[in-house]
Amino acid sequence: MKRDIELFSTWKLDEALELLEDGNSHVIAGGTDIIPGIHINSNRFRDFNKLVDISRIKELKRISEEKDKIIIGAATTFSEIESDEILQRHLPLLVKAVSKIGSRQIRNRATIGGNFINNAPCADSVPPLLVYNAGIKINSIHHERMINLEDFLISPYRTSLTNEEIVTEIVIHKPRESLNDVFYKLGRRRGVAISRITLAILFEIKNNKFTDFKIASGAVTPIGKRFYEIENYADGKKIDRDLLIDISIRCGKAVLESTGLRWSSEYKLPVLQRLIYSLLEDNCLRR
Amino acid sequence: MIRRINLTINGDKVGIDVQPSMRLLDVLREILNLTGTKEGCSIGECGACTVVINGNAVNSCLIVIGQCEGSEITTIEGLEKNGELNKLQKSFMEKGAVQCGFCTPGMIMSAYALLLKNPNPTEVEIQEAIAGNLCRCTGYKQIIEAIKSP
Amino acid sequence: MSGDFNIVGRSVVRQDAYAKVTGQAKFADDYKFPGMLFGVMVRTDVSHALIHSIDYSGLLDYPEVTVCDINDIRGSRKVGVVTADQPVFCYEKIVTPGDVICMLVGADESQLKLLTAKVKTELEELPLITDPEKALDPDATFIHPDKKSNLIVHYPLRKGDVEKGFHESKHVIEQKYTTPLIEHAYLEPEAVTAVPIEGRGGVRIIGSIQNPHTTRRIVAEVLNFPLTKVRVVQAELGGAFGGKDDLMNIISARAAIAAIKTRRPVKVRYTREESVVESYKRHPYIMKYKVGFNDDGIIKAMKIDILADGGAYASMSPFVTWRTVVQATGPYEIENVHTDVRAVYTNNPYTGAMRGFGSPQPIFAQESLMDEIAEIIGVSPYEIRKINGVKPGSITASGHKLRDHDVNLLSVLERAERETNFTERHKECSRSANTKFQTSQKFRGSGFILKKDEMLDNRDIIKKGIGLAVSLRGCSLGAEGIDAAAAYLSVQKDGSAYLISGLAENGQGLRTTFSIIAAEVLGISPEHIYYLEQDTGIIADSGPTVASRSTIMGGSAVKNAAEIIKKRFEEMLLTYWNIKSKDQLLFKNNRVYEQSRSISFSELCSLAYSKGLNMSAIGWFKGPSVHWDEEKGQGAAYFTYVYGCQVAEVSANLLTGEIFVDRIVAVHDPGKIINLMGAKGQVFGGVTQGAGYALWEGITTYNGNIRENNFDQILIPTSKDIGEIESIFLEGEDIYGAWGAKSLGEPTLELTAAAIANAVKNATGLRYFNLPLNPEEILLSRKLSPNDLSRGSTN
Repeated sequence: MKRDIELFSTWKLDEALELLEDGNSHVIAGGTDIIPGIHINSNRFRDFNKLVDISRIKELKRISEEKDKIIIGAATTFSEIESDEILQRHLPLLVKAVSKIGSRQIRNRATIGGNFINNAPCADSVPPLLVYNAGIKINSIHHERMINLEDFLISPYRTSLTNEEIVTEIVIHKPRESLNDVFYKLGRRRGVAISRITLAILFEIKNNKFTDFKIASGAVTPIGKRFYEIENYADGKKIDRDLLIDISIRCGKAVLESTGLRWSSEYKLPVLQRLIYSLLEDNCLRR
Repeated sequence: MIRRINLTINGDKVGIDVQPSMRLLDVLREILNLTGTKEGCSIGECGACTVVINGNAVNSCLIVIGQCEGSEITTIEGLEKNGELNKLQKSFMEKGAVQCGFCTPGMIMSAYALLLKNPNPTEVEIQEAIAGNLCRCTGYKQIIEAIKSP
Repeated sequence: MSGDFNIVGRSVVRQDAYAKVTGQAKFADDYKFPGMLFGVMVRTDVSHALIHSIDYSGLLDYPEVTVCDINDIRGSRKVGVVTADQPVFCYEKIVTPGDVICMLVGADESQLKLLTAKVKTELEELPLITDPEKALDPDATFIHPDKKSNLIVHYPLRKGDVEKGFHESKHVIEQKYTTPLIEHAYLEPEAVTAVPIEGRGGVRIIGSIQNPHTTRRIVAEVLNFPLTKVRVVQAELGGAFGGKDDLMNIISARAAIAAIKTRRPVKVRYTREESVVESYKRHPYIMKYKVGFNDDGIIKAMKIDILADGGAYASMSPFVTWRTVVQATGPYEIENVHTDVRAVYTNNPYTGAMRGFGSPQPIFAQESLMDEIAEIIGVSPYEIRKINGVKPGSITASGHKLRDHDVNLLSVLERAERETNFTERHKECSRSANTKFQTSQKFRGSGFILKKDEMLDNRDIIKKGIGLAVSLRGCSLGAEGIDAAAAYLSVQKDGSAYLISGLAENGQGLRTTFSIIAAEVLGISPEHIYYLEQDTGIIADSGPTVASRSTIMGGSAVKNAAEIIKKRFEEMLLTYWNIKSKDQLLFKNNRVYEQSRSISFSELCSLAYSKGLNMSAIGWFKGPSVHWDEEKGQGAAYFTYVYGCQVAEVSANLLTGEIFVDRIVAVHDPGKIINLMGAKGQVFGGVTQGAGYALWEGITTYNGNIRENNFDQILIPTSKDIGEIESIFLEGEDIYGAWGAKSLGEPTLELTAAAIANAVKNATGLRYFNLPLNPEEILLSRKLSPNDLSRGSTN
């Protein structure tokens, strides 16, 4: 690296929190954004010269089932998530999403915490975590707090995390196993593509009506976003072609409203609406 | 701040006195003279710098040496054992998987990591395993062939 | 002759494969020298400006840093292959963002990078020209004021009378096509080290250099040294595709200046971002075609107007566009042709040689046009090409009669048709083309929110299509340059041999191909041949390694050298065995046979050595003469040609606009194949690059600045992006080349985008005129990009 940066490695969370106490350090886990960011002198990574490496703190890499909850350590890599049986069973949407991120080399290093803390518009783990109503646990040397992921994410590349804090866990209430899930990612290439549209959908159908319909998108809005109004609208309604079209168009409108017109809207907005319709038709109509 | 970092590289235990924030890629190329590992993009997109750390393929431009303490690292130089090429190296030669050769070390290391976990991969699994290794010469066909039947 | 070879035509493992699979192959950045310094470039943040002054006072506190700029140049301040318009260090003007004003030299490369900000410049910005169509406007600012025009070159070609031809045509159609700026994307970024030779011996240069002799000439010109005092050694080259020429010459000159100034070895190595910003690219073309034809399908007249964006420097534009003017009508015999090709200066990144070299662009246009003609008169794409395609004895647009080789255009076409069942499948796909898609493009520019009836039925999303494209390609340089090549072969007394040619290994496998040729002549195994390190000090200038000319030119020179030595052996054996005729001598399996007796090749060499026989020879091949009339664009442009046909099968996703290439069948006549494994590798690689050109690639600029500067944005194909590729060779005979071995590297690439575009038309029912056929193009028939420098590819 070009500038002089001190790196502190530790195997213990307490030590890491102590190191962060002065507020002048930056946490590094997978490093897949920070290291090249420093290398190309990106302005996002200029205002610190101390890195605290948390990539090998065991308690941050644990995946566990605790009663009705699933807990994922924030420094768990995407590869670890992909191959974990608990997550495959309970959070299939998350597994599908992370398995489409980057390359194998990236997934072997990049962590789930890093993905949403970075809070890029195209962070692929965010839409599934949002529809799972994920909460996160945050620790500092002085306190611990729980916050909904949705409230944690503020704006592109900004979260409510302070310099002294580490996100330690992602906590998700086990979804019912009867839920259906759909994940879709559109990139510019099949291999290693940055997302242009991501969609995470959860739903259950009872008596040909939606119950528990949840939908979130990524890359089409400034940050990953849930569409509660549309979810409320869909729940309890009889599933037919018209409803699915209606949902799709409402999503298009919601995105247009939150994002405004961008240079890419002319392509993305119609495609988004058609995609939602296509996915719903495929997964809901022919059952 | 220079610190001693201990790790195993290609089977040898080494201690390196180095800035912990130095990229593994630079440590390999500049300090250890292991220049088989290549730098193509510096941002983790081309895969030319791929090495295997504790059994996993990793871009060595995206990890700093301080994060490697105690790790077992294998680079392209570590595959030939007692004068005997690794089967992947042989099949890369025999199947015409090499042209300019700049992507080759990283490509072989990704394939090596794949075969460690999955000795009989399907074509789709191979494509996925090397999707992060760009090659501009070969069109990947002979590479996939070489990994399929080493 | 065919069928009688020992090794020619088989699959041979590359000689450099062992070094490459073990990581031992030494690329330019793998070289280190004691006391080595680094050179780091200083650029400005403008695209077009006058330089009033450069202020180095910010560096006063850093005595360990040496500055190299225009004041250090003793020889030519500007260089160029055709026109010397590119300054080694800028001193009058900045004309494009890659421009370098000076280089900082010191031991700590990362410190130098930080110090670049300390160099201050006083600049006066000038109006930008980024639209090539405005470059020739009367009020346009001259990019190079001394040229008094922004025209780099203009090639006319006139055959027959096009107006008469259009008059005689029942149908006349006009179309406009465009192609994008393309980055070579070799995996190895530029690197070079210049090492001063002791005792004022000059300078030695080791780098990622495509054409060592060109680099030598440019460096010598800049240093004002005789050619012999600049020795250029080629490091293992990590891909070039035409791209490691002009820029490498200039970087080498900068490193050499610094090495002479500091008396230390100086290495310059580019990051990917620097490589992309400063290196030249493939020309974007704007192509207008007008064609007249009748119901019988015969093309009566073709009028072509092509504008190439040369960017800030002339570079290879005069050669690239010359190939375009010769080949712009495609492989068709047309009575009346009127072509104009122009290249112009702009403030965009400059453009030069890239695999294809002025052919992929017109092939996309002309092969799209052929399919349109076929559709209008109601015949198949196969039929229309059969009607108009060149046959033995046909006359090309430049008035060249095709003879002395198998004119295999129709053979490759027929083979491809048979192999893919083309015509039948093409009909099938057009019948099922989605008419709803064609009429449902309502959201083009209108509403962003869809209406209820605008959703697609899932059954209508994926459509299949098939398309083909054909080409003829002139081999080697043609009338654009001096065409000769040398090879040196030196057989040792144990039967092993050194070989080198003046053409250079670019990663394509030239060393192996040449070793096979020499080994075939001498009847030995190619493993016995040791290919020497490429060094301008030990082999004659053989022109550049470009234009798919190594096999035909260098291969012929190697064969010549081997035959000279073989003849000497034969004459020695006549005496030694006391025989009358050498017709019975057979060089095979590392032995020489004569009826019942034989001698091993190593014994033969030992014997020859003891008799004082000269076992070394320089082989030479000079291309047959070709000529060109500049005013009419007429002449025998190339001494021979190769032919190819590619068929693309695609799946089009009408919802997202994504195109997937399911399969490409590539049928090529490259003449005789020397190394089958290498030849296949050329096809797979070329087709994949061609598919990238068709579907994703394209560098975009904003005020001359490049948006996509690394591989997160420059989308070259990955292992997951292309379906099957099948390569088929039809080996036509030729009087030129080693046993008729000609060219393959570029033909493999030039056809793919055109074939894919025709397949996409077949699938979607819509024709597209602007590459790449990315999702926006498919759904909106236009490109979208941000109105600033933000990175376009992600969104």
